[in-house]
Amino acid sequence: MLLDFDRLGAWRWGLIGVGTVVMLFLLLPIVFIAALSFGDSQWLVFPPPGWTLQWYQQLLTDPVWIDSLLTSAKVAVIVTVLSVALGLLASLGLARSTFFGKSALQAFFLTPMVLPVVVLAVALYAFFLKLGLTGTLTGFVIGHLIIALPFSIITIGNSLQSFDPALEDAAMICGAGPIEVKWRVTLPAIRLGLFAAAVFSFLISWDEVVLSIFMASPTLQTLPVLIWSTLRQDLTPVIAAASTLLVALTIVLMLLVSLLKRGTRS
Amino acid sequence: MTTPFLQIRGLRKTYDQVVAIDHVSLDIQQGEFMTFLGPSGSGKSTTLYIVAGFQGPTEGQVLLNGKSLLEVAPNQRNIGMVFQRYTLFPHLTVGENVAFPLRVRRRPEAEIKAKVEKMLELVHLAGYRDRLPGQLSGGQQQRVAIARALAYDPPLLLMDEPLSALDKKLREEIQLELRRIHQETGVTILYVTHDQEEALRLSDRIAVFSQGKIEQVGTGEELYERPTSRFVAGFIGNSNFLPVKVEQMGSGRARAVFPNGHAVEGAASALAAGSEGTLMVRPEQMRIRPAAAAAGHGLAVTVRDMTYLGDSMHFAVQTPWQQEIAVRMAVRDGQGLSIGAPAVLEWDAQHGHVFA
Repeated sequence: MLLDFDRLGAWRWGLIGVGTVVMLFLLLPIVFIAALSFGDSQWLVFPPPGWTLQWYQQLLTDPVWIDSLLTSAKVAVIVTVLSVALGLLASLGLARSTFFGKSALQAFFLTPMVLPVVVLAVALYAFFLKLGLTGTLTGFVIGHLIIALPFSIITIGNSLQSFDPALEDAAMICGAGPIEVKWRVTLPAIRLGLFAAAVFSFLISWDEVVLSIFMASPTLQTLPVLIWSTLRQDLTPVIAAASTLLVALTIVLMLLVSLLKRGTRS
Repeated sequence: MTTPFLQIRGLRKTYDQVVAIDHVSLDIQQGEFMTFLGPSGSGKSTTLYIVAGFQGPTEGQVLLNGKSLLEVAPNQRNIGMVFQRYTLFPHLTVGENVAFPLRVRRRPEAEIKAKVEKMLELVHLAGYRDRLPGQLSGGQQQRVAIARALAYDPPLLLMDEPLSALDKKLREEIQLELRRIHQETGVTILYVTHDQEEALRLSDRIAVFSQGKIEQVGTGEELYERPTSRFVAGFIGNSNFLPVKVEQMGSGRARAVFPNGHAVEGAASALAAGSEGTLMVRPEQMRIRPAAAAAGHGLAVTVRDMTYLGDSMHFAVQTPWQQEIAVRMAVRDGQGLSIGAPAVLEWDAQHGHVFA
């Protein structure tokens, strides 16, 4: 390698220093929020003078918070299922066939990743207003699905790349029909990719805020939207508790993915 | 005469303007081990894939027991196949891989269990049922693939260069296993390879492919002793090709004249008198003697190199027209020869073959 860490000499301490600063910069706010959610100060004093679970209690007994949490979960689960199903079909089509305009279609599928979310949000808002889809579950699902799908297609597409199509030929000559081949051979072989796509899709929907703000109505909003709108009115530690829950689920899911990956490799 | 077990009739396959195979026809008997031998791109794999059903021919017909295979979907053909790459299902154990074709056929559990045991015994992997494919060596994986392909007693087993990813020692070991499995099961095998030694070792008959066509079909001995084209002669075994002119021609035998005017009688030939051709003689069917002892018979040559190979001697000799020729003889027959000395090259007339 051109730059070998072990041969950097004194420079390596500089590198470690920069790395530490970046890490702290990224992680400290999260640690800070998590600590505040357990602190007993009404005014978000840091370090907290004492410890309490009352903000979580408030969070989980307030019907407004509960509703938003359920809405978030519902939207995220539906988006996950649709995103994996559509992502699988799209990447199978892209991986196995050659047709005119294939790379154009591939690029088209990935545009939501590079398009500014605000632009997408405004466009969808104007469109959904006409269709009467704003403030509905369907509106949330479609919006989130648009930005989750590219990740699903990329993840499943990658695992299809390392899957040898000769396995499908072998299954077919063994007597399996086209659907049975996919069900018994292809899907089990790419199951890690499917799982990763599901987790990514879930997380993208779970903490999506820009699109959701446009889609939300006073009666139907997701957890990130409620955090954002509550934050504009007053500064209560309940927000910290809600944020911590959001982060906690994310971390758990990411850990699950890396554990599964390690499990299949050994 | 009964209809042949498998008939390949006038198969032709083109991709756009490229002709992959052209009018390939072949009859295969039940229980026969038939090898398609040829360089890459010669059409041997394409022919196999058409029999398997992965590709359809542009023209032609494939009949199994007199019934067309082409109208049957690949998964309904009931044919076994072993691939060049390892194609065991990575998420299933060895036992479940072998059971796969039986599960797809919805056979009862007890039958599946018994059959898996029997197949794993056949390939000598009885203790490996609960391993995953990733824990096996390449040779073991291909043996499991053979067990899987034979688990449903297919009448026909296709093998597409199944040993090409293995090292030489392992390859020879599995070749022996394959012969045994073929004898024990009596299954008809179509085997594709580019390795002539492998083809000679395994096959009842060999079809030599070149540029999309079958050049010659026959037993290994027929192909080696009586090749009908320069390509077959060059592809199977070692050979010397000498430029000749055919002078007289009678009952398939020719008098052939070398560039220096020396002539040999009785070489097998299908060429018309007066045409230019090539005379092929195998290195081990040639003899050289010191010029002094030969007294004018044979082709005058000069010894350029001699190599001791233990069981034989290898000589490189030069003809008067500066062509280098390989000769292989028993060690004791090479006495009296030395590098740089004049010598005389001879062979029995029936070992010479003239090609265009």
